Amino acid sequence: MAEYKAVRVEAGRGGWGGPLTIKPTAERPLVYSVTGGGIHPVAQRIADLTGGEAFDGFKSSAPFDKIAVAVIDCGGTARVGVYPMKKVPTVDVHATSPAGPLAMFIQEDIFVSGVGPDNVKEV
Amino acid sequence: MSPPPWTRYATTVTVVGEQVAELVDQGILIWFAEGAPEELHFFTVLHRPTVTTGGVRPGDLVRIDDRAFRVTAVGDVANDNMVNLGHMDLKANGDTEPPLPGDICLEKLPLPEPRPGTTLVIEGEAYEAVS
Repeated sequence: MAEYKAVRVEAGRGGWGGPLTIKPTAERPLVYSVTGGGIHPVAQRIADLTGGEAFDGFKSSAPFDKIAVAVIDCGGTARVGVYPMKKVPTVDVHATSPAGPLAMFIQEDIFVSGVGPDNVKEV
Repeated sequence: MSPPPWTRYATTVTVVGEQVAELVDQGILIWFAEGAPEELHFFTVLHRPTVTTGGVRPGDLVRIDDRAFRVTAVGDVANDNMVNLGHMDLKANGDTEPPLPGDICLEKLPLPEPRPGTTLVIEGEAYEAVS
């Protein structure tokens, strides 16, 4: 049985929202990277610190109820809203603020942006 | 004489999400290459690109079938998203300052509703040597 630890994810420079506390569980083990170029360093750091499983959303699909956190490199319109809409805590590596057709779902308690690896801290 | 246009991106639509029509009414078209996670499909135009050079910039032309839209602004991460993920946020709002980093803003004209088989080509002048 895996032991999971919590991390605190804060908004980086110019970012918005958060901080979020992320702790995977046996039911929700996945650190889901929906980013260009494979697992993003922010997703890898969250996985390394928490014991969660880094997962590349562009390589294969994951059931939503397995996702502990989604890490995105969204430019502000599409992905920023989809994961909060599904109640999945969402970390954008770009410094975006609520916008786009799903802006109403982007709330501080489920979304944080402008995040670099240094904004992910052990609790 | 101006040089011939340079193709920055070319692709063909394969699947159109059920909420794309609503976004078209708002002047927005969200694109992802095939292989994008399923949760993004409902508002996305999925496509299969053949040219993914990138480098789109203001003044380029976005051709969707027989319609052409001049690019008015390009956000800081738009080209990376386009090249890496086939992801574009096309917004026909005429903005010259991109409001969001992922935006490719187009002149303010009604957007067509893509169908499977619809083609998108982005073309511009070849770059001059960058100093």
